[in-house]
Amino acid sequence: MLLLQINSIADALNSSEWVFPIAECFHIAAFAWSIGLIAAVDYRMLGFGIQNSKPSEVLHDTAPWTILGLAVVLLSGPVLFLSDVRMYLHNSSFIFKMCALAVALVFNFTVHWKVAKSDTVSPPVRVVTAIVSLALWISVVFGGLFIAFV
Amino acid sequence: MFELFQWLQNLSFMTFIRESGWEYPIVMSTHLTCIAIFGGLIVITDLRLLGWAFTEKSIADVVNGLRWWKRIGFLIMFAMGFTLFGSKASEYYPNPYFWAKMSFLTLVLIHAIIFRPMVYNHPEQLDASPVIPTRAKAAGALSLLLWTGVLCCGRLIGYWEPPQRQNPVAMNHFQEHVLPR
Repeated sequence: MLLLQINSIADALNSSEWVFPIAECFHIAAFAWSIGLIAAVDYRMLGFGIQNSKPSEVLHDTAPWTILGLAVVLLSGPVLFLSDVRMYLHNSSFIFKMCALAVALVFNFTVHWKVAKSDTVSPPVRVVTAIVSLALWISVVFGGLFIAFV
Repeated sequence: MFELFQWLQNLSFMTFIRESGWEYPIVMSTHLTCIAIFGGLIVITDLRLLGWAFTEKSIADVVNGLRWWKRIGFLIMFAMGFTLFGSKASEYYPNPYFWAKMSFLTLVLIHAIIFRPMVYNHPEQLDASPVIPTRAKAAGALSLLLWTGVLCCGRLIGYWEPPQRQNPVAMNHFQEHVLPR
């Protein structure tokens, strides 16, 4: 029953050759937007980027836009996924991407936000947090692209 | 032009990338990652110029602070993009989305030539103004539009196929059943 439903969604999505590419454009534009804004906070935590500002200020200013971007990413992603569920579930790079994404999201809204908001945290903690954040998001992007190559 | 593309593609480095296993997707992922972690800097600058975010920070702090990181990011992104293009140059030649992307990039260049002296090189003047001048808002809005165009056309390059390389069975079906209607 579930399989039938998934198939009918996939048929609807695959009925036009434009749905997938357009969803993909939204997906890429929105991840560039949201990951880029998260990276801007990371850059500030590493000591470069926007001048004369604390990481907490950069986070405060970017957060609404980051969440907007992430919302578009997380809405367009499932459209791509539902067009060919079986292929994605058997794709090792997709599985890797989903795990990395889950860790990245949890990390972002817990540790990353907490460290970025605190202006008293010690510099090494700040640097490590920024590097982990960048590494996690980069692995999500790599995992996503490699879906087409594994 | 086409001969130039073929020459580029036949360079040993480009041949190596094209025929490689993991190098090609790694170059592509790096290109995409640069879009993510440097493209956001363009977004921040544009949002600041539009007055939509970072309004407590001066335009000078945002523009000057991000300038070199955007340049470094662009350089890596361009190197990776050129490698992707060069390794399959003759396939890119007939692709309309490739030329659309190049057109958008040309517009980005024109944008830079026009707005650099007017906006980006004198952010202090913008901060001195009581409201953000229209030229700065125009620069920000156009930049967002043009880069979105570059990005979408870039993605669509991958979806275009030259007519003769379409699936012969599908072409047959198309000619026999779809066309007569």
